[in-house]
Amino acid sequence: MSANFLDKRAMNKSNLWIKQSLRLLHHEFRRGELTIICLAIVLAVATVFSLSGFSGKIKQALLTNSSSYIAADRVLRTSRIAAPEIIEKSQQYTLKMAEKVETESMVFAGENMLLSELSVISDLYPLRGELKVIKMAEQQVPTVEHAPKSGSVWVEPSVLSRLDIDIGDQVEIGVTSFVIAGIITDIPDRSYRAFIAGPTIILNIADLEKTQLVQPGSRLTYKYLFAGNIDAIKSFEEWIKPKLNDTQSFYDAKQAQSRLSNTLTTAEKFLSLASMLGIVLAAVAVAVASRRYGQRHQPMVAVFKALGASLPHIRKLYYLHWSLLSLISISIGLIVGYCLLLLGTSAMDHYLSLENTSLGYKPLSISVVTGLLCAIAFAIQPIKRLINTSPLSVIRGFSTETLPRFGLHQLPPILALFALLMIFSQDLTMSLSLLIGGMLVSAVLLAFGQGLMSAGRTVGSQAGKSWHLALANLKRRASENSVQLVSFTIAIKLLLLITVMKHSIISEWQQQFPENTPNHYVMNIAEHQLSAIDSFVNANNIQSQGFYQVFRGRLSAVNGESLLNTEMSDEASVEKTQSDKQDKTKTTEKENTPRQGMGRELGLTWGDEIPYQNKLLEGQWWQPEDQQGQVSIESAIAERLSIVLGDELTFDLGGQVFTVPVTSIREVNWQSRQLNFIMVFNKSVLENFPATYISAWMVPEQTKDHLAHFLREFPTITMMDFGAILKQLYQVIEQVSIAIELILILVVLAGSLVLIAQVQASMEERERELAILRTLGAKGSLLRNSVLFEFVALGAIAGLMASFAMEIAVYFLQTQVFDMSASFHFSYWLLGIGVGASFVGIVGLFSCWRLLQLSSVTLIRRTM
Amino acid sequence: MKLDPNNILKVHALTKSVQLEDKTLELLQPLELTINAGETLAIVGSSGSGKTTLLSLLAGLDLPTTGEVYLKNHALHQFNEEQRSQVRANHVGFIFQQFLLINSLTALENVMLPAELANISDARQRGKELLAQVGLSERADHYPSQLSGGEQQRVAIARAFIAEPDILFADEPTGNLDNKTGKHIANLLFELNQKKGTTLVLVTHDQKLASRCERQVEMDSGVLTEKTVPHQLNECASTVNKVG
Repeated sequence: MSANFLDKRAMNKSNLWIKQSLRLLHHEFRRGELTIICLAIVLAVATVFSLSGFSGKIKQALLTNSSSYIAADRVLRTSRIAAPEIIEKSQQYTLKMAEKVETESMVFAGENMLLSELSVISDLYPLRGELKVIKMAEQQVPTVEHAPKSGSVWVEPSVLSRLDIDIGDQVEIGVTSFVIAGIITDIPDRSYRAFIAGPTIILNIADLEKTQLVQPGSRLTYKYLFAGNIDAIKSFEEWIKPKLNDTQSFYDAKQAQSRLSNTLTTAEKFLSLASMLGIVLAAVAVAVASRRYGQRHQPMVAVFKALGASLPHIRKLYYLHWSLLSLISISIGLIVGYCLLLLGTSAMDHYLSLENTSLGYKPLSISVVTGLLCAIAFAIQPIKRLINTSPLSVIRGFSTETLPRFGLHQLPPILALFALLMIFSQDLTMSLSLLIGGMLVSAVLLAFGQGLMSAGRTVGSQAGKSWHLALANLKRRASENSVQLVSFTIAIKLLLLITVMKHSIISEWQQQFPENTPNHYVMNIAEHQLSAIDSFVNANNIQSQGFYQVFRGRLSAVNGESLLNTEMSDEASVEKTQSDKQDKTKTTEKENTPRQGMGRELGLTWGDEIPYQNKLLEGQWWQPEDQQGQVSIESAIAERLSIVLGDELTFDLGGQVFTVPVTSIREVNWQSRQLNFIMVFNKSVLENFPATYISAWMVPEQTKDHLAHFLREFPTITMMDFGAILKQLYQVIEQVSIAIELILILVVLAGSLVLIAQVQASMEERERELAILRTLGAKGSLLRNSVLFEFVALGAIAGLMASFAMEIAVYFLQTQVFDMSASFHFSYWLLGIGVGASFVGIVGLFSCWRLLQLSSVTLIRRTM
Repeated sequence: MKLDPNNILKVHALTKSVQLEDKTLELLQPLELTINAGETLAIVGSSGSGKTTLLSLLAGLDLPTTGEVYLKNHALHQFNEEQRSQVRANHVGFIFQQFLLINSLTALENVMLPAELANISDARQRGKELLAQVGLSERADHYPSQLSGGEQQRVAIARAFIAEPDILFADEPTGNLDNKTGKHIANLLFELNQKKGTTLVLVTHDQKLASRCERQVEMDSGVLTEKTVPHQLNECASTVNKVG
């Protein structure tokens, strides 16, 4: 070594690894060698970003939208005036507050009287949504209002027709007279109960005392409406919830609207599940791609070491290389995720305004963490092994040996996967069951797959030449192939799973709200009006559920024990039962308090047959000719009121008291918009009581105009239109279905990536084999077909196993997570096998196409 | 042990054995070898005779089971992987049968690599000069996959010489090439070697190629014997002249 040479040596070597690392990255990106691994990380990040952003935005928008249905963000409902500390606390949280008191009362106008629902509101009401009023007879477009002026009231149109009065006239409520100042066209938080007392009258809370309606024992419901900043609302909610007693409830729009809430919860669970599966797939793709990355880089590390590069030099070079690769991929992932999010939200804008929703930091932070976890945990082993490549490999050749399948080295990816699932779902049960289920399935598949492929060889030995070669290949590579098979199977399984679940969720929703779901309740129908109304129904193409006799009565005692009565609606009662079940402390408290009652008048009916969509759980349905009085009770209420078969229930119908035994318990589908009754009697009990009739109608859009005429013709009839809320439900279903489609595409992409990564990972091995076969004189068509058949067989086996695994997973999801009835999907088995065979076959063939086109000399030169 | 100033590499009582499941396989019987600076030495022998094992020990890629290896006064047998890689970076060059170019780097970058690792400041300039010397100036920006086998080996030769190593190990450098290309590569190798005055240790089973070296040793079942073939010296020199 010359002195001159030594002089030329630079003293500083510190940045060489940076330079080499950047150079490597630049070239490898240009040559497309990092495409698969980069895509895998991009996809993981983009999936998480777009999905968490998307579902967050939809949730916010729907909640804001649906807040108008309770006229606030949260409502405290109570039977007494709320403690002043509650109001003070809400002020501390700078929440806006409005009050609403609800009661029923007779109102009078001259000789006429009418039972009506009174809504007594404060000046700020409503905090969300719009109260719309027509103030002059000739006014066409209603104005948006808050509370009426003191001394005046607003009324629903039927009040005017039934009391035969007009705007400007007076009505007496309690002991005070009020001027009618407007006609209500829209109440944001109107009650959609089928059994309300009568039309609504709104008055100012300042006038409540003057009416003298508030007396000891009078039945009033106080509602305190709160709205404000979401964080403040949440803090207030946390503060108030533990302080609530049994007669109070604090709810948001979702809790108030069980149908909306159920749809949303199912959708949220599904979106979350789909995203989790997408993440698992992307993570598998990263794992497979990084393994291949490690193998491909072995010669380079060996040459570097042989040429004298130190271990720290190589370590730094690769850490930087990998970090930059990860950072670039994560950044691209964020951009792609943001674009997907924009795409999704703009597609959704038609149905739901997302403008005022904020994205927040959650999507950004969890998607970056996902990217980092994928890039680090799934690549750490392959990179560690790569860095430790012996320089002796330059002479001895490179090891293709894989790590043992089960061992400590698998801990980081498993932990990372668990962390990812947890971060995303924040649901320990779902994460654990997905993880453990996934690991068990993989282990079973691994063993099962090897068996299947060995069996394939016996069958294949009689088949044609290409098949023979293909199956021989499968058998020979059974061990590596079974790993490949597990990835294929998992990918196909998850794709099938998402498709099946999507289909079953959407069809379940559609079943709940079929086209002919009623959109109007018609109440207070007198017997003599029935035939005239029936002809109106027939003439106007209205689908009617038939007429039910309805009686208003109160459950006053169970087995002679009087009930404590707290005001509550049917649905609220059912929901309260369900929430109490989860809250054991409340149940314990309940045991020490008097037996709880329904707290209000119920709509009672009789029937010879069990009502439509009801299910008999206990006891027996009566015969129409049974003369002895009997009652059938709804199961959730029976549970809540601790009523069992054979209990004697005492009812009070307008002062007449009677007692009947419970002979059956029914399950009622509250999700449907059918007329549902908590108590159904046999005919002999109620036949002598005066009754009105009630019906539920599906009024087609084009005949809605005829309803005004109908109401003028039958002024005593009350009609309730809940078409708007149904429409919103349909919209939510439609929106969520779109979201699900979008996620399905992402999951399919992730699945495809796993397949491609896996095929690519086996490429070097195949290259060598092809070279040998070519040298031995195998024809191009034989090689092409054998490659195609090998992948087709692999795909078909994976499809078969995936279908089986999917069926088990769907059964578990339907019964345990989504609370649906289980179903089997044999048609999807064919799809699974077909898709598996064709997709894996095509991807495999395409990936090998380049190799198959190479001349023998080139192949040999490349591999020998 | 201090090496004679003329010696660049000295091996004493070197053995290598590997442990198989129930028995020990002796790859190299105790052997002695001294190589002088500037000498060209061919290690010949049939497949499995232990040539490549010996090469990996001489170059410090592997450690002997027993015995000593001194390269430029460095006791390689006492060095760990890191120290040996430092010695390789400063003193050793390689040419492999499979070329082993880095696929993600261009021809020029491949050539520059050892110079960079040895802290040579004008690596790029030297790389270009060397590529010109092997006749590949025009292909500097091509990736290995865009080059023929012969071209790849020419790049490998340029890479081997760029850091001006004291000793160059070539493992079957023409083994993967057809006759004509192989001959051309061999010419190039000997020409450059002579020009740079590098010590060359050539492992081959090709007797013709081996005969171009000043000295030959033969491996047979792990035993090393010296072959004396003085008449070939002239032929070796004359071939080099023809190429030049």
